[in-house]
Amino acid sequence: MKRLFTILGLPLVLLACGGGEDRTIIQNTGSDTLLSVAQGWAEAYAMVEPTVAIAVSGGGSGTGISSMINGTVDIANASRGMRESEFEAARAQGLDPQEHIVGYDALAIFLHPDNPLTSISLEQLVGIYGENGTIESWAQLGIEVPGCGSDEIVRVSRQNNSGTYAYFREAVLGESEFKLGSRDMHGSKDVVDLVENTPCAIGYSGLAYATDHISMPCVSAGEGTPCVAPSVDTAIDGSYTIARPLFMYTAMPPEGGVKQYMDWILSDEGQCIIFDKGYAPVATVTCA
Amino acid sequence: MSMFARTTLDQQNRRVEWLVKTLFLMMTVLLIVPVVLIMGILIQRGAPVLSWGFLTEVPTNGMTAGGIFTALIGTVWIVTVALIASVPIGVAAAVYLSEYAPDNWLTRAINLAIINLAGVPSIVHALFGLGAFVVFFGFGRSILAASLTLAVMTLPIVIVATRESLQAVPHAFREACWNMGATRWQTIRKVVLPNSISGILTGVILEVSRTAGETAPIMFTGAAAFLPFLPQGVLDQTMAMSLHLYVVSTQVPDVPDALPFGVALVLISMVLVMNATSIAFRVYLRNKRKW
Repeated sequence: MKRLFTILGLPLVLLACGGGEDRTIIQNTGSDTLLSVAQGWAEAYAMVEPTVAIAVSGGGSGTGISSMINGTVDIANASRGMRESEFEAARAQGLDPQEHIVGYDALAIFLHPDNPLTSISLEQLVGIYGENGTIESWAQLGIEVPGCGSDEIVRVSRQNNSGTYAYFREAVLGESEFKLGSRDMHGSKDVVDLVENTPCAIGYSGLAYATDHISMPCVSAGEGTPCVAPSVDTAIDGSYTIARPLFMYTAMPPEGGVKQYMDWILSDEGQCIIFDKGYAPVATVTCA
Repeated sequence: MSMFARTTLDQQNRRVEWLVKTLFLMMTVLLIVPVVLIMGILIQRGAPVLSWGFLTEVPTNGMTAGGIFTALIGTVWIVTVALIASVPIGVAAAVYLSEYAPDNWLTRAINLAIINLAGVPSIVHALFGLGAFVVFFGFGRSILAASLTLAVMTLPIVIVATRESLQAVPHAFREACWNMGATRWQTIRKVVLPNSISGILTGVILEVSRTAGETAPIMFTGAAAFLPFLPQGVLDQTMAMSLHLYVVSTQVPDVPDALPFGVALVLISMVLVMNATSIAFRVYLRNKRKW
């Protein structure tokens, strides 16, 4: 029996290794799009302020905002603005939610590298993704995609609590619904992975998730407007039509450790990290 | 013609017998194929990233480099706290159900509840944990909330395993003890529990494997996708192996291909080592048994 307790006690000894000085934890949850940036900030901030630990979780913009409203997180990450209904729910709890724009993201349209399409218009995107859209095959766009025998457009989308999903609906579909039958992925990386390996597919996600094995057509707002390729620069100067602000929300005006962290995020050091990850910073910064 | 010559009926029976045996053997082989494939692929693709540093360093460079130390220790925390919460309750409940409970409607209702608890999907437990432990009891997103959620989820495993091993102790042992004038509790403590400890341990270790691998119940209640430090107490959040695997394989861009396989290999090795320990214990304790 004695040996038994020795073995059961071993994990407790391991736990004791976790000791150290006191520190505060800031809970930071929400958008999967912002997850890698939020993680980058948390990792770098551990060097800046070793007494503050930033705990980062994903789950989607909606998850982050509702967790902030019910008080389980300090900062919610969102790749869409908070809805009026969410503001009301927060005020009903006696909160005063604060919006902080921490960067901008170009929403890129992703295609398989063999897909010859080099430009796409918002109207065509509505035809493909919108509930009343009639574009079902690549032939309707006047192209033939090698390796896509069925010619059917495989629509890759996001799960419905994703901020990317909400922003795409608002900015491209104009508040109309998505057509049923899309592949809804949990995470931008999944979208890219699937489109990379599916000749028939089209998908959308933050530009930061682009890889070398994927093709991104330029996007035009309509007839006669220039077709602009997604990039950090075109997101900053506003010429790329589907670029969106990225938000962090706090339940109250930030103070103490949370305020210091928010200030640091908007400092040159914090903004260079979001720039490194492929997003546009809030203001022009010079980074090493 | 001899009396024992094979009739056509005999031959037919033999053929059917052979067919059935072969078919069932094939099904058994089919069962092993996924296990062998999973382990083979994990070792082949995950082994290159394994090193002492992988186990003892924290994740760096956007979780694309460094090791898994914080996640590994986080899983040890979560599992330990879950065990501390569920083993005493589970064993006590099993002892009551097996040794004291009369066969009436209440006992039957409890049994039914345990069976149902075992069938509840883990995501439902996750939402229960979020509502009960995180929000209502106010533990926040913490190891405590995550471990209690897992404890509730794994209680049926402990109860069922314990009850089965208690019932495997021959009834004559108890009667002999009672006839010597021992009380029920004395009988349980001196005769029943020592004779069923191997089965109880098996249940506990099965619970450990289940607890270490669950993702859904902890991601809403206490596990973070990234934390730069180790937790210091049960009210801290923590990283965990299972959630880390989910995050590096679906959420983070530019992760080296081998990294998620390495994480999966470590996780599955942890579980396999636990299971092997359980089997070793079982054999050791059974050999000590005198009946």
